This record gives sequence, structure tokens and C-alpha cells, in this order.
Amino acid sequence: MKILVLNCGSSSIKYQLLDMETESVLAIGKVERVGMEDAIFEYKGAGEKIKEIGTILDHTAGVRKVLKALTDPEHGVIKDPEEIAAVGHRVVHGGEAFVSSVIITEEVKRTLRELFDLAPLHNPANLTGILAAEAALPHAPGVAVFDTAFHSTMPRKAFLYALPYAMYKRHKVRRYGFHGTSHKYVSQRAAAILGRAPEEVNLITCHLGNGSSVAAVQGGKSVDTSMGFTPLAGLIMGTRSGDIDPGVIPYIMAREEIGISEIMSMLNKHSGMLGISGISSDMRQIEEEMDKGDPRAIETFEMLEYRLRQYIGAYAAVLGRVDGIVFTGGIGENSPRLRKAVCENLAFLGVTFDEEANQVRGKEQIISGPDSKVTVMVIPTNEELMIARETAELVSKMGRA
Amino acid sequence: MSVRIWGVVGTGLSGRGIAELVATKGLEVILVGQTPDELTQARRQIELSLQHEIERWALTESEKRAILSRITMTTDMTELARADFVISARVGDIEEDKAILRTLDQLCRGEVILASNTSTLSITEMASATNRPDRVIGCHFLQPIPKTKVVQVVRGLKTSDETVARVMELVERLDRTGVEVYESPGYITTRLIIPLINEACQVLMEGVASAEDIDTAMRLGFEMARGPLEIADRIGLDTVLVMAERLWREYGDLKYRPSPYVKKLVRAGHLGVETGEGFFKYDANGDRIKNGGTGR
Repeated sequence: MKILVLNCGSSSIKYQLLDMETESVLAIGKVERVGMEDAIFEYKGAGEKIKEIGTILDHTAGVRKVLKALTDPEHGVIKDPEEIAAVGHRVVHGGEAFVSSVIITEEVKRTLRELFDLAPLHNPANLTGILAAEAALPHAPGVAVFDTAFHSTMPRKAFLYALPYAMYKRHKVRRYGFHGTSHKYVSQRAAAILGRAPEEVNLITCHLGNGSSVAAVQGGKSVDTSMGFTPLAGLIMGTRSGDIDPGVIPYIMAREEIGISEIMSMLNKHSGMLGISGISSDMRQIEEEMDKGDPRAIETFEMLEYRLRQYIGAYAAVLGRVDGIVFTGGIGENSPRLRKAVCENLAFLGVTFDEEANQVRGKEQIISGPDSKVTVMVIPTNEELMIARETAELVSKMGRA
Repeated sequence: MSVRIWGVVGTGLSGRGIAELVATKGLEVILVGQTPDELTQARRQIELSLQHEIERWALTESEKRAILSRITMTTDMTELARADFVISARVGDIEEDKAILRTLDQLCRGEVILASNTSTLSITEMASATNRPDRVIGCHFLQPIPKTKVVQVVRGLKTSDETVARVMELVERLDRTGVEVYESPGYITTRLIIPLINEACQVLMEGVASAEDIDTAMRLGFEMARGPLEIADRIGLDTVLVMAERLWREYGDLKYRPSPYVKKLVRAGHLGVETGEGFFKYDANGDRIKNGGTGR
């Protein structure tokens, strides 16, 4: 069974075609600047990588272009678009309506529209992608896989905010959590590496990338996570502040004489690693400056590590027993320095550390010592594969029903 | 047909403001100026304005670069043949605007709507210079254009309902609210603000209250973000004078007659925020210099 995975932004389409017999990637690429006359189309299938610049007026035209490349006699990997059995869509916000992946129906699309307010930047673009795939591939069922769904198992005491209860009832203000597909994928992989059933293990999974979040995963289910109502909460990120005292917000607005859109821009785009260091939002650059002894880079790193460790400590208390800690995402997979700094401070959990194993970048590896009470692992995430698996599973069920 | 490329004619305050706003909202702009020097100047002004937004935390450096890359500058009107919607924002008389509309009518595709940013000239008369009077409309952006959330959408005598509806959508795409007005000098905003400024000047001249207290009373009393005298300073007192004179001439009603106080300030070269002094004093960023206890 071949599955097309789409991740659509307001002017972009990231795609992969996967063969589910072997779980291998047949083709991968992206379309950027959708809607422009100089849209960028990238494709890697059979043979050389292709890059073209030309007019792609909307997402439907973008998806059609992808299909054309996939079936191209020279670079293509399939003969006929009919070979694509289903399309898996990454959808950012499932709200309370979607607690797991679903086959897309008219009803699902209606509900997705109702969720626009919760993720105004992402969900409309995701729906555009769904409609584009339906137009270009009318035979293939679509499946929506939600970033929030994995965290729907959180208990009420973890997801409610101590605001007037009416705010939850009226406006659905609560913790939702994000990166769910990634946390789910790496927690399944971690259980496999530990050689145990997912139901038996307690994990703390750290997805550290441009956006970062930690999840407490108990017996395969998320019971808490650091992102909240929006992806702004929790850890210090590239340009996002993570947790701050909400009282700071009106104070800054008054002092700087700025409005809501400016303060939101400050918290989302001018804060985090970039804001503290004044250097970069990129961990690699922060580490380069640390090597040169830059005090602000060092402080930025220390703050980031400290906040991450606080969450790991908190989730250890939530779980009671920790079997494994997972590092994933761009930083989690590629920063031995950060992993070392965190692990060295976790001796109280019985964590020991394998300096040599920790040098790994971007592949699965246990980095704790053989005597460690908690197995610390690096596991590259694979959200596309997870989306494809969920899609394949749902359409197979549909076929049987 | 969806509008992806805006054409803007004129590089003055309005033309630049519209170009900046449209590009900030992710659409492409072709900005037409009369000379290369004028365009260089316009680009510098837009860069400055975006830089100011970065300092207010509203934008990032990379967003600024992306916005600038969406603005194409040219002295060649024929490039507007690519545009999906064109607005003339040149400050001039009716003959000049008619000439621009006539040229645009020849250059642009038949379905393209042609607009003017004018607040006083007749849309109906401009439309008469084209072969598409049903697709000519007024689209008056208020200063400062990148900030102000309302656009007056002006119907000429022959403007079609479909044209109005499409322009309302364009305005919404820019996160602005359109209000529909019929062609009439001053529309809503100019017609209401001029008598208010005039009366504030009268209160000042009669010695009833200080400029500071007049603005404070109106701000706090009616939840206005700014008082009428600061509003006048921000519009530019020379512009206030021109607007008042035009309204007075059109309607012949004394309530529009420009206040002698405004005339006096203009003669002294105190034009408001732009020159650093009008009713109040301003720094280079256009922020009020706060003196005295009643200011903000």
C-alpha cells in the first residue's frame, strides 16, 4: 500500500510518498511560495533531485504538480496516481473534538472549520491541503492526523488551567499540547529498544527543535506535556519564550506602548534563545559562540538546559518511576553537549552516562551507562512515517468494514 | 479571479503606505514612480518604516526582507499590465488622475478593477475617462496606512455592486474593515474630523482650556486613543488646512472654514509630527514629547 503524506502550510506543501510494505520513502520534497509566480518545487524520487521555479497558483496546482512528478516516466516512482491508496494529512489542532486520527468526511471538515479559532495560522492551511488532495486525487481517502491527539489522554487535573471554569466551558481554554505525532513515534520506538510492551514503560520524551516540548508518557499514553493552549508554553525555544509570568505581558505592553499583535510577535519571534543571546535562534550557532567563550551564549545554554531539567524532574514526579528518557528533534538528535549537560544533572534519578555513545548524531543510540537506572536514548523522530502508519491502519479498517 | 499582484501608482506617503501594507500581508506589489530617484527615496522610506516595526517587536529582520522582496519598483507604467488590481495614490488634481486612469484602462486586463485613493476628487468623473466605469472605484486608506484599520470604499455613479463586493474582499484580505460610502466630499472621516478640530481650535483660542487639557478631556471622556489636536498634528496641519478649505468650498458651510489658529501654525512652518511641532512637540520617531502634568 502506498501512502502520500502531506504537511501543508499557508504557502507551502511538504510531501512524502511511502511504501507501507517496507515502510520506505519512495519520494520526498516540498513546494514553497505557493500562490506566487516564482514558486519553488523540489522533488527527489528515482534519480537526481529536481528543483524548479515557476507559477504554482494554489495548493491544488501544487498537489497536481507533485502527482505529475511522481508519475513522470523518468523521475517518477509510480505509474498511475491510482496507485496512491490514501493521503495522510498533518493537522495541527484537533481540539477536544479529535482524540485520534480520523478518516476525513464532510462532517470532519465541518468540525475542522470550527477549530480555526484555536490555530488560526495552521488549521486553515491544513484544510486547504485536504481540499487540494481531494480535488487532485478524488479516488484516495484522506486521513487527518493531529498534533494534539496523542495528548488527549491527559487527565483533567493536568490539562485544566486554574482560571474561572467558565473559560474552559465557554472558550475551551485548556492545555492541549503539540508535537503529539513525534512523542507517540519515539515513545513506541523507545519501548521497542527497551524490549518491552509500550503499556509497561514510563517515559519522558523530549522533542527539542525549533519548537520544543517534553511529554510524560505512562504506559504508552501521554499524561502531561509542556506546551499548553498554544505552542508558546513550556521550554525555552528558538524564538519563543516558553513559560513566563502572565503578569509580565500587560506590564510590557504599557511600558513599551505596544498592542496585542506586537506583544505576541515579541513572545513568538523575538524571544527564546534568540532573545536572550542576541546571537541566533539556532542551537548550532549558540554552541559555536560558547566555544569562543561568549558569556551570553553560555548563559542562554544554561537557561535552556535548566528549564528542560526542571520539566524532566517534574515529570519524574508525575510518573513516579522513569524507565527511559528520549531525546529527539533537531537539537535533541544533534546536540551531544545539551544531552550531556542534562544527564550529568540527573544522577538523583540514577542516570549514568556513556560519554562515547553520546557523540552520536541523528541515529538511534542508548547514551546512558549499562548500570543506569533510567535508559537514556537518542531516537530520530519520523512524523511522516507515523502519519503514514495511522493512515494505512484506518483505510485498511475501512476496507474491511 | 483572486488578486495576487497589486499595482500602486505614486510614491508619496499614501502610495508607500499602501505598498507596505499590501506586501506585509503577503501579496506582491508593483510600485510605479516618476523617476528613479523618487523610487530610491520610496524604498528608503519603506525600509525605515519597517525598521521601526522591528523596534516595536512587530516584525523580524527576515520578515522585513521578505516584505521588501515582494515590492517591485519601476518607472515603467506598462509593467502594471501584470497587476490584478491597481490603485492610483498620486496627490494631484482631477485632470492628472483622469490621465492616469485613461492610461491604466489601456494597459490593464479588462476584468481588472481600477481604484483611486482620493478623498476629495470625483470617482464618477475619473471613471468617465475609461471604458470600464463600472470597474472604477474609490478606495480611501486613512493615515497612517500601515496601522489604521478602516478603508472607505467609495462608489462612483456607475460603480457596479460586484466591483464594490470584490473591493470589500480585497480590503478584508488586508485585515481592514471596509465601509461603503457614496461619492461626496470628505466621505465620513474627513467630514467629521474637520469640524471637531475646528471647534477644538475655537475652544483653545477663546482661552477656555489649554491644548493639553482639551486633548486629555476628549481622550479620557470619550475613550479616544488621541485627542483632536494631536490627531490634527498627525494628519499634518497643512493637510488639515487643504481638507478644510475644500470642504468649505464644496458645502459653503462655516463649520468647515479653516481655523485661523491652524493657518497661523502652518505659516510658521509648524506642520505637526512631520516637522516636530504643531499643537504639541514630537521627537524624530513621531512620539509625543511629554511635558507638563496632563500629558500622557
